[in-house]
Amino acid sequence: MSAFITKRLLYTVVILFAASLLIFSLYALTPGDFITGNIKLTPERKAELREIYGLNKPVLERYAIWLKNALHGDLGYSMAQQKPVLTLFNQYIWNSFLLAAVSTFLTWVTAVIIGCVAAYKQYSWFDTLVMVAIFAAMSLPSFFIGLFLIKILAVDWKLLPPGGMIATGSQATGLAYVKEVIHHMTLPVIVMTIMGVGSLARYIRGSMIDVIKQDYIRTARAKGLKERKVLFTHALRNAMLPAITLVGFELPALFGGSLIIEKIFNWPGIGQLYLTSFGLRDYPLLMGFTVLIAILTVIGTLLSDILYRVADPRVRLQ
Amino acid sequence: MKKSIASLSALLIAGSLLLSACSSDKGGNSANESANTPAASPTASAPADSGVIQASDLSKLPDTAKQRTDTIIVGLTDPSGAFTPYFHQSGYDGNVSSLLYTPLVTVDNKGVPIPALAESWDISPDNLTYTFHLRKDLKFSDGSPLTADDVAFTWTLLHDKAYDGDSQIPALHVKGGEAYKEGKASSIEGIKVIDPLTVSVTLEQPNASALTTLGSDVLSKAYYGKDYKFGQLDYIKKLHEKPVGTGPYKLEKFIPGQEVRFVANEYYYKGKPKTEHFIYKTSEGDTWQFLETGEIDFASFSATQENIEKLKSLGFVNILPYTPSTYGYLQVNLEHEALKDKKVRQAIAYGLDRQSIYVDANQGAGAVANIPSSPISWAYTEEGINPYKYDPEKAKALLDEAGWKVGADGIREKDGKQLTIHYLGSKKKDTDIFIAVAKENFAELGIKFEPEVFADFNALVSKVEGGDYDLASFSTPLLTDPADGLIQFVDGEIKGYDNPKFKELYDKGLATNDLEERKQIYKELFQLANDELPVIFTNYRKTVYAYNGRIQNLDVSPFNGIAPSLPDWYLQ
Repeated sequence: MSAFITKRLLYTVVILFAASLLIFSLYALTPGDFITGNIKLTPERKAELREIYGLNKPVLERYAIWLKNALHGDLGYSMAQQKPVLTLFNQYIWNSFLLAAVSTFLTWVTAVIIGCVAAYKQYSWFDTLVMVAIFAAMSLPSFFIGLFLIKILAVDWKLLPPGGMIATGSQATGLAYVKEVIHHMTLPVIVMTIMGVGSLARYIRGSMIDVIKQDYIRTARAKGLKERKVLFTHALRNAMLPAITLVGFELPALFGGSLIIEKIFNWPGIGQLYLTSFGLRDYPLLMGFTVLIAILTVIGTLLSDILYRVADPRVRLQ
Repeated sequence: MKKSIASLSALLIAGSLLLSACSSDKGGNSANESANTPAASPTASAPADSGVIQASDLSKLPDTAKQRTDTIIVGLTDPSGAFTPYFHQSGYDGNVSSLLYTPLVTVDNKGVPIPALAESWDISPDNLTYTFHLRKDLKFSDGSPLTADDVAFTWTLLHDKAYDGDSQIPALHVKGGEAYKEGKASSIEGIKVIDPLTVSVTLEQPNASALTTLGSDVLSKAYYGKDYKFGQLDYIKKLHEKPVGTGPYKLEKFIPGQEVRFVANEYYYKGKPKTEHFIYKTSEGDTWQFLETGEIDFASFSATQENIEKLKSLGFVNILPYTPSTYGYLQVNLEHEALKDKKVRQAIAYGLDRQSIYVDANQGAGAVANIPSSPISWAYTEEGINPYKYDPEKAKALLDEAGWKVGADGIREKDGKQLTIHYLGSKKKDTDIFIAVAKENFAELGIKFEPEVFADFNALVSKVEGGDYDLASFSTPLLTDPADGLIQFVDGEIKGYDNPKFKELYDKGLATNDLEERKQIYKELFQLANDELPVIFTNYRKTVYAYNGRIQNLDVSPFNGIAPSLPDWYLQ
C-alpha cells in the first residue's frame, strides 16, 4: 500500500509539471493579454507596461520564472486585483467551499436514500414519481431554477434573502452571524442539491437494483436477517462501490466554485473571480487557480483508489 | 493498471482545463469589458435630459429599505480592493476611490473645470505653467494637513519608472519628467512648491486637458511616501485596502466580493456628509432582485421601454434618465484597399440602417452618433454635420462612383476582387441585432458580409491589432475632455489614418484654454471626422438610474458619477 502511494505521488509530480506547462502555454497563447483590453492606453504606453510586467518575454522564460516562484511558494500578485494570489484564494475559496461542502453532503445523503428506496420498490408509484421529478430537475438549467426560486421565495414571499452571504451592512457577530449565513446560503444550497441529486440517485438506484438480485442477498435473507440489515449493510455497501470512485472526483469541485450559482446568488466565491480574471488575462491568478484545481484532481483520483481499497478488500493496489 | 490511472488523471486534468478555459471564454467578455472600461459602471453616466420620473407610491417601499435610517446602499459590479487612485486596474475600484478622494479640480455637468480642493488656479499666457492655489486648512481623513508638498509628491510618484497604472499625467510631458523617469534626476524640474498652499507645474508642450488631468486626487506624502524609493512601488499594494483620502467618506471595511462600507469623513472640506453610512454592495449579474427587495437603493438599467415600465410599476423608485459620456463606433481597417476609399466608408454609413439597429431594436435605449463626441459634452454640435440618414440608393451611387460595380452573382467587384466586409463583434445582444440587420443592408448594397463573433473582448482586440478584419464594433471609455474622444485618430491607435490637418487641429484644440475658441476648433474637427469617417460612428447609449424615492438631493454628474452630489444625499 505505501509503495503504491509513493509511486503514485512520484507520478503526480511529473503530471503536475507537464500540466502546469500545458496550462501556462494555453493561457499565454490565448489571443490578447492583460494589457490588450485596456482601451484607454496609447500603443507606446502598452509597450511600456508589457515591459514592466515582463509580458514581452518568450513564453518559456515566463513559465520558468513562474515555476521558480511557485516552487518557493510565491504564486505572485494578481494583476487586476493588486493582491497576492494566495490572499485572494484565502478570501474567496472558503466561501465556495462552504456552499459546495454543504450541498455535496446533502446531495449524497438524499441521493443514497432516494436511490435505495427507489431500487427496493422498483416500479412502485414512489419510484416512478421520484424518477419523473429527477428527470425534470436534471433537464432544467440551474440558472432557471435559481432565478425561479429567487422570484418565488425571495421577491414574492420574502422568506429568504435574494442573494449575498450576509445582510448588507450587517454588524452581526458570533452565533447571529452564523445564523445569517445559513439563512443566506439556503437558496443556493437547495438549487445545487436539486441539480446534483438526479444523476447520483439514478446511479445508486441502478447499482442497487443489480446488487439486490445477487445470490448473497438471497442468502442473507434466507439466513433470516432483518430486511433493514440486508438492505443497508449487505446491499448498500456493495452498491456503493462504483459510487465511491465519484467521491474523489468531487474534491476539485469542492474548492472550484460554481460559476452560475455564484453569479445568480451573488455569492462571494472563487468561481466568479476566476471567470473575471480569465476575461482580463490576469495570468498569475489564472495559473494559481488552475494549478490548484489540477493538484486537487490528482489528489482526488488517488483518494478514489484508496477509498476503493478500503470499501472493497478484494481490490489489491500495486 | 497504474499506467492507465496515471494517464487517465493526466487526461482528466488536461480535459478539465480545456473545459474551464472554454467555458470562461464564453462568459468572460462582459466582465472584462466593464472592468476595464469605467463607462459601464454607475460613475460613468450622465443625465441626458433632467426628466426625473418621481416615485408614484412610496408606501410600496420594502421593509428592508424602510428600516435603514442613516445608511444608503448602492450596487457596484465588482470592486477588487485596490482603492488607491492612479493605481487601480478596475473601473469599479475607481468608483470606490472617487468617494475616498477629492480632486483639486473637478468638472461641472458640461465638463467645464470648477474648483474643488484647489480654490483657484492660474495658467501662464504661453499655456505651459499651471499654478494651483489650495484651500486653507485642508485635511486628510487621518486628520493630517494637506499641503502643496503632497500634491508635488503625487505628481512625482506617477513619473516613477515602475508606475503601471493608466494615469495620463506621465503623458503630459512635464518638464523634467522624462529625466526623472530615467533616473537621471532626483526630482522633477517642472514641479515647484511655491508655498504650502501653492504649487506649480510647467509642461514642455501646451495641453488644454492638463488642468483636469493634473488637478486630480492628492496622495498624502506622509502616508504613501513613507517607504518610497525610486523604482520600487510594490509597497503601495499593501496600502490599497487602508486608504487615507480627502473624500466625503472614509473606508470602514472592505469585505471582498460582498461590500465596501464607508463612514462619513469629518475632515471633508465641505463639511461632514449628511448620511453617516454608505455601502457599495457587490452585485454581479442582475440587480433587479436587490432593488425589488430593498437591499439596494440605487441601480442602473438600460433605458428600454420595457425596463422603464417595470421600474414605474415598482412605485417606490425615482427614475433618472442619463446618457453615458461615450460614443460607439465601427473601427474600419484603413489598411485594406477598398476601405481606404472615403466613398466606400461613406457608402457604408449611408447603407447601414443605424436607426433600426441602435434605436428601434433597443426600444429607444440609444441614439445615432455622427461625430466623435458624446452628446452631453460642451463641445457637441450638429452644425454642418452630415447625419448620414439611411439611404441605400445614395450608398449604391457612392459605391458605383468608387468603381465597385455589381458583378454576376450580385456582389460588387473591382479589378476582379469582390467587395467583402469581415466584421468582428463581441458576444452580446447588440451584436446579434447588428448582424441581423447589417446582413440585409449589405446584401442590398451588394457587399459580401462575413460576421465573426467573439466571446472574449481581449481576443477581439488582439485580432483587430493583428489587422485581420474590415469592421469591428467598439465603444470608447468615459470621455471627459473633448480631446479624449479624438486622441485615437492622432496617436496611431487607428492604424492607417494619417491626416496632417486633423493633427494640426487637434494640437490647436489643446493649445488654448479658452472654451469658446476650443468649441470652434472642435466643431471644425468634428466636421472633418464626420466627412472623412476614419471610423464609422454608430451610436450613443441611453440608460436610466432607478433609486429609492426617499433619497433627496441625488444628482449624477456625467463625468464624476455620484461622488459630487453624494455628500448632500439624505433619507427623508
